[in-house]
Amino acid sequence: MLQKKICMLGSFAVGKTSLIRRFVESIYSDVYQTTVGVKIDKKNTQVHGKEVSLVLWDIYGEDDYQKMRWTYLRGASGYLLVADGTRKATLEKAVSLEQRVREEVGAIPFVLVINKSDLIRDWELDSALESQLAAQGWSILHSSAKTGEGVEESFSLLTQKMLG
Amino acid sequence: MPDILEKALAEMGFALLEHRGNGEFLAIARLPAWFLEIWTEAGTGSGPIPISRQSPFLENFLLEAENYWKSPESAVCQSETWIEKSLSGREIPVQAKAMLLSGQRILTLFSPVSQFREQTKILQTARNALLDHERLAREIQKKEILLHCIVHDLSQPLSVMHVVMDSLSDESISERSKQFLALGKHASNQQETMIRQVLQTFSDDLSASLDAGTGGNASCDLLECARKTMTSLGPTFEAKCVRLAVASTVDFEAKWLVVAEESRLQRIFSNLLENALRYTPAGRGVTVGVENEGDFLRAYVDDEGPGLPQDLRPEQIFGLFMKGKQGGGKAGLGLYFCRITVERWGGSIGCVNLPEKGSRFWFCLSRAAGRTASPSPVAHDTSNSFSSEHEPKPLRSLRILFADDQEDIRTLTAYQLKRSGHKVVIAKDGKQALRAFRSAPFDVALLDQEMPGMTGDEVARAIRKAEHGKKKRIFLIASTGNTTSEDSRRLKQAGFDEILGKPFRLEDLNLVLSASLAAKSAARIPSIPAGPPGASFAELVTRIGGDEKLLKRMIRTFLRDTPKRLAGIADAIRRNNPEALASLAHALKGSVSIFGAESARKHSQELQDLGRASEVFGASEAFALLKEEIAKLQANLRGYANQTPARPKSNHAKRQRPPRNRGKRRR
Repeated sequence: MLQKKICMLGSFAVGKTSLIRRFVESIYSDVYQTTVGVKIDKKNTQVHGKEVSLVLWDIYGEDDYQKMRWTYLRGASGYLLVADGTRKATLEKAVSLEQRVREEVGAIPFVLVINKSDLIRDWELDSALESQLAAQGWSILHSSAKTGEGVEESFSLLTQKMLG
Repeated sequence: MPDILEKALAEMGFALLEHRGNGEFLAIARLPAWFLEIWTEAGTGSGPIPISRQSPFLENFLLEAENYWKSPESAVCQSETWIEKSLSGREIPVQAKAMLLSGQRILTLFSPVSQFREQTKILQTARNALLDHERLAREIQKKEILLHCIVHDLSQPLSVMHVVMDSLSDESISERSKQFLALGKHASNQQETMIRQVLQTFSDDLSASLDAGTGGNASCDLLECARKTMTSLGPTFEAKCVRLAVASTVDFEAKWLVVAEESRLQRIFSNLLENALRYTPAGRGVTVGVENEGDFLRAYVDDEGPGLPQDLRPEQIFGLFMKGKQGGGKAGLGLYFCRITVERWGGSIGCVNLPEKGSRFWFCLSRAAGRTASPSPVAHDTSNSFSSEHEPKPLRSLRILFADDQEDIRTLTAYQLKRSGHKVVIAKDGKQALRAFRSAPFDVALLDQEMPGMTGDEVARAIRKAEHGKKKRIFLIASTGNTTSEDSRRLKQAGFDEILGKPFRLEDLNLVLSASLAAKSAARIPSIPAGPPGASFAELVTRIGGDEKLLKRMIRTFLRDTPKRLAGIADAIRRNNPEALASLAHALKGSVSIFGAESARKHSQELQDLGRASEVFGASEAFALLKEEIAKLQANLRGYANQTPARPKSNHAKRQRPPRNRGKRRR
């Protein structure tokens, strides 16, 4: 079976771990548990009739306390760039991470997932910036690890992009 | 390996493995229990263990380890912690280290359980605190906006209701209509009280939050803040291919210290830069600069976009919920936040089209270093606002410049002022008010704060600047819904003499006008005889220009408002709030001055001085004395309020019957 490595990148507390848990185990917890280190999960999925084994690298959110090791991206076929719709700074961080990934490992497929769509009333993202990024060719999806909205779609879209 | 050493290593939780190539390892010591939970087949025999095939993380790490084994002189090869799952689903933290010992390629695996737990706990606490801080910052911004909505949107119609009811009171209406009117007044008063309570609650809450973050008098470097914000937004600009730079004319060596709080100042820059980015096409640039502006420093953000929208005035762009048509922001709060924050710090903000292309968004803030050296316009007490050269005028002939952008308030208030005998020139915005000031002399200017074109603050500053070096100065009254102590300080710094809270009643306005008149008349009216707490009814009638009806209204207002002011002073003392103490004592001093209560005025002055000197702890004694004097004054005024009117104005003082309790006072 085809195996593809996917990395989850984004600021802390944007919901990277929750997205994986929703995708792999179909569960969600409201309690924020910070990720220390790296957790790896696997999920087999089908895209356009092809069986694919996704190896999901849940990498801790970079901040002042933990800096990303770029070696984790070695061998990755793509990555999900996760931002929190209720925290504008996390989208700025996502934009900055994308730029660094391009510098470190080159251009690989990615999807920007703006998480926490269940809290859409509290979103403070600038829709203009989102439109600009989309105009540059970014694939952007809204998701909610809590309700499951957009989760399957995000991984599926990324897998499609990775398979070309 | 000696058995005892093997046991010790296993007990300590170390797994020692020798690399045999091809991702396979041989255990060279007894394997610890946690290892066997993950790599179960390792416990079944003594053959090679393909650990990396089971662990993508280890597989990745081994690429680094291979390099290390080839060139061991390089730095230590150790992994970060990663999580493996046992067959039972237990999550086990693991760390790996590659070593080259006696030519053997050794991989050590270790499960740092307690260290991992401790690290998780610390990071969890730190990140929770960061999230709480972000949430708090957002809440504060929401509260600030809500505060302004309450003040502005709710107070405006209430002002109209007050003025309408005051106007109706003066009409000939039936007794039944009077009853309805009284009910209406009662209801609008109740509503006003509720608005004030909500406002005060938010204001106290906000002040506490702000003080916690700034210490009240924070200063920071304008250029430094701009550059920090530019650094954090740099990738966003790059993503849109928009250049971001500091203007070449900026002096990088200079200190650009302003009165502001750093995180909010960065948010202002962030909002302005995001706004500039939104309208600047790819390939163009955004330039940030700072420059001197007298006692202020100006910061600006220039963009190369299409310029300001033609259908909006610059001041509208900073309005609440204002969004541009082309790719506007989410909520229309960003620029509004900039404005209210800058104005809260006593600064100003605006935007203009640039000569060739694009627009400039700018704001000015007071210099931090220059604040003590060259103070802002001094707050003037009611008691000495007019110089001795200023010719006093009777109350009925004040020349009043009245500016308010609300047509209904403008019309009704002007009507009332004219009915009271004043000469009134009305202006519908700040610029018109300034033009009127330049074209004719006025005794008083009553300026609304939230006006298009120029705010009341800006007009006041311009007026005080124009008066510089002149003997005459206009009496400036701010009409505003923002009546917190911080707002008062800001308005007084702008040059206002008095602040009239919105919604205001005509009585309040007359009280303020009378206070100014009484104060400037003090030099010419014989001083009130010492002893009785306050002037006689006849003296008071003379003092306010002969209008008994007005006097009685003023007395009623005084009797109604004074308990609240005293309670406010008590609260300020209890909370150790010098600004509130100074402000409330100042207001009370103006009120008691009208009634000639010299002792009460003196004690109010003491409290005001203590507040300004931040010596609240010494205020209790003066406050006790003030309360005694006020109690006496209130008793007298209650007697005056019940006096029968209808005496000829020319000699009413002579014919006036002594008030009921006058005799008591004299005893």
